[in-house]
Amino acid sequence: MIYVENLKKEFKKTIKDPGLRGSIKSFIKPKNEIITAVNDISFHVPKGEILGFIGPNGAGKSTVIKMLTGILTPSSGRCEINGQIPYKNRKNYVKEIGVVFGQRTQLWWDLALRETYSVLKEIYEVDDESFKKRMAFLNEVLELEDFITSPVRTLSLGQRMRADIAASLLHSPKVLFLDEPTIGLDVVVKDNIRKAIKQINSEENTTVILTTHDLQDVENLCDRIVMIDKGVKVFDGDISDLKRRFGQTRELRFVPENIDIMEKLDYKKEFKLSDDDLEIENNGVSVSVRFNSSKISVERMLNYTLSKTHVKDINVTDADIEEIIKGIYRSEVKLDA
Amino acid sequence: MRRIFKIYKPFTHAGLLLAAQYRANFFFFIFGDILRCFINYFLWHAVFSSGGEKTFAGFSETDMVVYIFISFLTSIIAYSDGSYAVGEEIRDGSIAMRMIKPIRFDFAFLFQELGERIITVSLIFVPMMLGVEVYKFAVTGAVCFNIVNFILYVISLILAYLITFYFNVCYGYSAFILKNLWGANFLKDCIVGFLSGGVIPLAFLPSAVAAVLNILPFASLTYIPVMMYVGMFDVPTIVFSFALQIFWLVFFIILQQVIWNACVKRMSVQGG
Repeated sequence: MIYVENLKKEFKKTIKDPGLRGSIKSFIKPKNEIITAVNDISFHVPKGEILGFIGPNGAGKSTVIKMLTGILTPSSGRCEINGQIPYKNRKNYVKEIGVVFGQRTQLWWDLALRETYSVLKEIYEVDDESFKKRMAFLNEVLELEDFITSPVRTLSLGQRMRADIAASLLHSPKVLFLDEPTIGLDVVVKDNIRKAIKQINSEENTTVILTTHDLQDVENLCDRIVMIDKGVKVFDGDISDLKRRFGQTRELRFVPENIDIMEKLDYKKEFKLSDDDLEIENNGVSVSVRFNSSKISVERMLNYTLSKTHVKDINVTDADIEEIIKGIYRSEVKLDA
Repeated sequence: MRRIFKIYKPFTHAGLLLAAQYRANFFFFIFGDILRCFINYFLWHAVFSSGGEKTFAGFSETDMVVYIFISFLTSIIAYSDGSYAVGEEIRDGSIAMRMIKPIRFDFAFLFQELGERIITVSLIFVPMMLGVEVYKFAVTGAVCFNIVNFILYVISLILAYLITFYFNVCYGYSAFILKNLWGANFLKDCIVGFLSGGVIPLAFLPSAVAAVLNILPFASLTYIPVMMYVGMFDVPTIVFSFALQIFWLVFFIILQQVIWNACVKRMSVQGG
């Protein structure tokens, strides 16, 4: 469905010295620097999958999306979607895709929302009957009814985003690209949008590629994630895979009957672990111990703790995806991908 | 052809709706321009009444008045916002939003602009035309409206508009390199206004300069249509002028395609 091979994008950037002098100097004799925004990325997405594209700011996510949607031409490498090459024959290719850039809008700013849809209807040559059906469906999923007659500039961000997503789906695209579809939205709207994406994906088997900074999006929506950092792919797999490979961290929390008992517990000495694999936090009431479960099993940890103390409450939790990703972004986790 | 019209018609419709939102804006602009037009009129009136000569480079005072108002009308109608629209979209990066649609930009911009200007142009066209004819009648005492000249004028005017549009689109693409066009646009409008005969008839310029300017695309924008209207061209000149206009139109259509293709390859979208 979507094949990306050794995709690379370089930008020329003019370096400017500060101030007016610098401006004049760079105007007369520009100094250029080549910046590699995306370096040698390959992946493959089967039909009907929701792929999450994550990475810190400036990692090159948007650049990849722009290449996949035919806006930018790659410096080298190849991408093929539905058997078509995006930047060649763009006009034909974009008929089969839907695109939402969360930070921009494809709606006509000064016109009533409805007008945008009727323009899109003609652009994509959707016939009257399918248009009616489609609008009814989108209306149901994204609840556009309340503001469809309002000018787009008066819509709230959440409404605008829903309207934008609807606009990208009007022509029943085979692939949907969402670049930060939940940026700046409140929890309820985010939730609605996720549900809508999920519903469209399952009802129409639409392939979805989305970039996001919201890990809830990733956990709720994505079948798989590709993580890039500084233009390079650092992870490709599903979420449980990510947790298995990078998330051996478990957290043991307990409330001892007597907090002074802590002096008797010396995890470091007992298990001979380094600071990287063990971290203890004691707030005077409860204690939390984060440890690497590949070095020391949960069972041993529990046994040791319970043999030394009486606890009022105890639990062990799984690694939080947010923690894992934070770790990868800060490159604390060793990447052998 | 019909399919093209069907796809791009909604752009015209949207343009119409947009224009309706900003109608006050337009009338302020027109009002300013009409004032400038009258200043020109009084200036030339003074020139003719103090010079003592009846004609000036083949123009009588009546001809000059007609020229002033018709060239004003022509430059209003054959005006294009293309370079602002294209440049602005490139500057803020929203050009990306057009690239994800299966459309041609030039057509989308063109049809939208037609919609934006259709009402205003029709509002100004009829009264100006009537005004000029009434003036001619008042001065000469005879109805001298020439339907053939009028038709030639309208055809030439449409060509002039299309040339302006494509010229502006080409110019707008330079935003890919310059990133911000505001100043450059201002400069362009002034230069084009002069070179196209919008300020003074090209016939007034030294013959060597006029000969060069007559061939350049700018003459096709204002000077040729107006000369068609005032009927100062003979038949071979008319044929030549139409050929010239068509040549420049084709030239700019091809040029904008070439520039576009080159820009897309090296494009970086600004912001986001």
